Amino acid sequence: MQGNAPEPVFRLRGVRKQYGEGDAVVLALRGVDLTVRAGELIVLLGPSGSGKSTLLNILGGLDRPSSGDAFFRDLNLATAADGVVTEYRRHHVGFVFQFYNLIASLTAQENVDLVTEVADDPMPSSEALALVGLSPRADHFPAQLSGGEQQRVAIARAIAKRPTVLLCDEPTGALDVATGVRVLEAIVTANERLGTTTLLITHNADIAQLGDRVVRFADGAIRSVEVNLVRRQAAELHW
Amino acid sequence: MISALNRKLLRDLSRMKMQALAVAAVLACGIALFVMATGMHGSMDSARNAYYDSARMADLATAVVRAPDAVERDIAALPGVRGVEARIAGVGLLDLPGRSEPVSARFVSLPANREPRVNALVLREGRLPNPARDNEALVNEAFAEANALAPGAHIHALIYGKRRRIEIVGVASSPEFVFAVAPGSLLPEPERFGVVWMGREALGRAFDRDGAFNDVQLRLEPGVNPRVVSTAVDALLARYGGRGAYGRDRMISAQFLADELTSLRTLATVLPPVFLAVAVFLLNVSLSRLVATERANIGLLKSFGYSESAIALHYAKFALVFAVLGAVLGMVLGNWVGGVLADIYRNVYRIPSLDFSAGPRVYLAALIAALLAGMAGAAQSVLRATRLPPAAALAPPAPTSYGRLGAFVENAASRLDGKTRMVARRIARFPRRAATTVIGVAMALALLITSQHYPLSIDTIIAVTFGQAQRMDVMMTFPDPQDDSILRDVARLPGVLAVEPVRSTDVFLEAGSRRERNSLIGVARDARLNRVLDEHLNAVQPRADGLTLSQQLANKLDVRVGDIVRVSATDGHRATAQLPVVAIVKPYLAASAYMQMDALGRMLREPDRVTAVYLLIDQRQREAFSARAKQLPTIMSLSFVDNARNSMTRLLEQGSGFVATIFIVFSSMMAAGVAFSSARVTLAEQERDLATLRVLGFGRGEASYVLLAEMGALLLIALPLGCGVGVVLSRWLMSQFNTDLFNFPYVTNTVLYGRSVLFVAGAVIVATLFVRRGVDGLDLVGVLKSRD
Repeated sequence: MQGNAPEPVFRLRGVRKQYGEGDAVVLALRGVDLTVRAGELIVLLGPSGSGKSTLLNILGGLDRPSSGDAFFRDLNLATAADGVVTEYRRHHVGFVFQFYNLIASLTAQENVDLVTEVADDPMPSSEALALVGLSPRADHFPAQLSGGEQQRVAIARAIAKRPTVLLCDEPTGALDVATGVRVLEAIVTANERLGTTTLLITHNADIAQLGDRVVRFADGAIRSVEVNLVRRQAAELHW
Repeated sequence: MISALNRKLLRDLSRMKMQALAVAAVLACGIALFVMATGMHGSMDSARNAYYDSARMADLATAVVRAPDAVERDIAALPGVRGVEARIAGVGLLDLPGRSEPVSARFVSLPANREPRVNALVLREGRLPNPARDNEALVNEAFAEANALAPGAHIHALIYGKRRRIEIVGVASSPEFVFAVAPGSLLPEPERFGVVWMGREALGRAFDRDGAFNDVQLRLEPGVNPRVVSTAVDALLARYGGRGAYGRDRMISAQFLADELTSLRTLATVLPPVFLAVAVFLLNVSLSRLVATERANIGLLKSFGYSESAIALHYAKFALVFAVLGAVLGMVLGNWVGGVLADIYRNVYRIPSLDFSAGPRVYLAALIAALLAGMAGAAQSVLRATRLPPAAALAPPAPTSYGRLGAFVENAASRLDGKTRMVARRIARFPRRAATTVIGVAMALALLITSQHYPLSIDTIIAVTFGQAQRMDVMMTFPDPQDDSILRDVARLPGVLAVEPVRSTDVFLEAGSRRERNSLIGVARDARLNRVLDEHLNAVQPRADGLTLSQQLANKLDVRVGDIVRVSATDGHRATAQLPVVAIVKPYLAASAYMQMDALGRMLREPDRVTAVYLLIDQRQREAFSARAKQLPTIMSLSFVDNARNSMTRLLEQGSGFVATIFIVFSSMMAAGVAFSSARVTLAEQERDLATLRVLGFGRGEASYVLLAEMGALLLIALPLGCGVGVVLSRWLMSQFNTDLFNFPYVTNTVLYGRSVLFVAGAVIVATLFVRRGVDGLDLVGVLKSRD
């Protein structure tokens, strides 16, 4: 298996992150080692404050480790210059947050356009919206869309640039089950059809069954890594 | 123990401190201006009144040709008269060592061995003249300072062509000459006009009034109608050549002081409200933003059981803190500027104990105004906070609802990139929010433009008066109307190129129940050296068949062209006539009535007389001209127009000029405050969108574009609007400053507008760039993970 395993996208070695100083110091990550391979869908599971969001932010170039190395291919995100990190976000990273963070003054299509206008090799915005099942709602403003629809626009916006990695931080946290399932379907579709390496944060153990691997966090460190021999479909989930 | 809610207040305030400072600074400017102007007005008013009171300033005065000393007792016996001083007064020339140009002086007699009952002197230096010696004199303080005269100095006086040596024994001030203005002149020129007090006997001989007087000053009992007393005085003095009594409104020094007080009052009442209005605006913006971000907290507080009034009070406290901060800053600033202003005024107005002090009522009024402004600015937001139902406040906010704009805009927008489209739709979606910024910036610009109009207007008055109206080099006045043969004598003086006569006299003008005392000026046919100008600066030839009135005088008499005015002369044959108003003009300086000179002479039944001449001279012969002119027996004053222009420029720059400068500084501060505050609020509102753009991979510059483009677009709307409001406000303000002596023109000046626009645009751009740094420091994760 090792011989024809896909190349690693992320390689993390001894990543530590601390906030504050002196008595008020908080250790968010206490030395994380992790390798993520191309095309994988990894679910990060753990209670609040266990460090999973911090890790995701470091991988997305929104934050830097206090020590250790975080390689995206050959680029060490721990030490790269600000401009390089911005370029990295621009061309390789798609983000999805719990709160959809759409630009309220732009329609669904225009929100996606915002990204395709500056990406190197984007897919047409209409295709990205089709992928998340929102073609008929392309001309609607965020205020005219339901929460689930807004999140799917956010996913379309994130995948339209054909990112190398898709980073999702509790994308279903604010949604009901049925809507959440549709959002997860959209993420899985992107992962399967586009081969986008995907990291998905949740504290819902049921959702963990979607991933190739499940990384469990506690107290700023990885407690276990499980491999799902069979990935469940999103539609099969209920919680 | 501070309650949890108050601790929240303190934390929130320290987070908003820059914003709070900007709002407070604008408020402070308005308060400072109010404290300064109101305080200065009050200080000057009370210093003047105290001075008038302690030095027994005259309520009425009249000149008389020659009345025997005994008549003084008759005047004193009139009902309502509290005190009388019958004096000798007259004008003459002074010859100062080392000065070729003659200096005019008003000579006033002092009673022997007692203080004057009216218009007492304040001795500044030296001693009073010894009544036994007829060559001792006091001079007024401003004149002594301007000419470096101290007790012990000797000067020469020319009275009726007779030269006498005078020793200065002291320097004094008098309430009568707070502003010492030469006859026929409009403004004080302390270098060239002085007041000389001498013993009654000495002046009686010099003016040929032994055993008689020619000037009466009266103080009245409180509450007495001056008009009743002046009628009685006029009746008493008629047979001795009384010239008609007049009140303080026609005493030039008192009039000047009253004018300055009026413009301070205008400043105090007109401008601070505009500043406060802008502060209200800013506060409104800051607080609505705060309430919007506090939605969840408001819901939470309500769900805990906090009452609506407790929540209203909590958010009102923000406004309260801004207001108190602004008020305190403004009071400190206003008090300091007022002190500086008082120093300047002390130099111009010779009033003892003129110190700046704004009473507790001024500070209280300032505090109340600031609080009202704060409350007005907060009202809307506080109401919104209390009305928010707790459930709605706790639920995540729906994204702001946007729609497509009109087809035309959408078409244009489709050609724009996404970021520009964001800007365009945001402005269109929140027109009120955009309008707030636009109006704030426009008001700042309008105030800045307006503030510069006062000095511009003064410059225009000076330029027009001395460039287009008064084109002579020299004005020579005579003590009494002279036969016009004097024109030949004058024309023979060395260097004289042109001579233009003028005949002026004091008259009463009556129309209906209105009665005004004013000068009626007889202007020579085809006058070229001193022209009457209308508001469009065209020369107007006063006519022979009626009166040409200044607008101010016409307003006072409530007459229009075609109305009849009854004219009565106060001297000579005391001729009267009924004359129609044939024209109304708007001169910048001095409200007068005009007539063609020969017609005036006929009306007065004294034809071919002149009271002054205007001269063009060869400047190379200026010294020779001066030397010979002062030997003329009948000359009263000689004034070189270039000197007058310099004195006027200096005087106006000193007093009102300083106030105008303060106003400009405050307006600039306000423009900067508005700019910063608007940029800060726009950044706060866009934080989430900007963070999203950054996460999507847009660089700092690209994300900043959204902020800069919005401010830029609003600026482009605000600038023309501000210029328009500036025009209206300037016109109105200038009309508010008009007094009897001055008519302030509104002048369009592209440099002024260009400079103001550049300043405001610059302030907005600098503030926006400063605020833009916030884009660099955006906590991307924090912003995006928050619920808004």
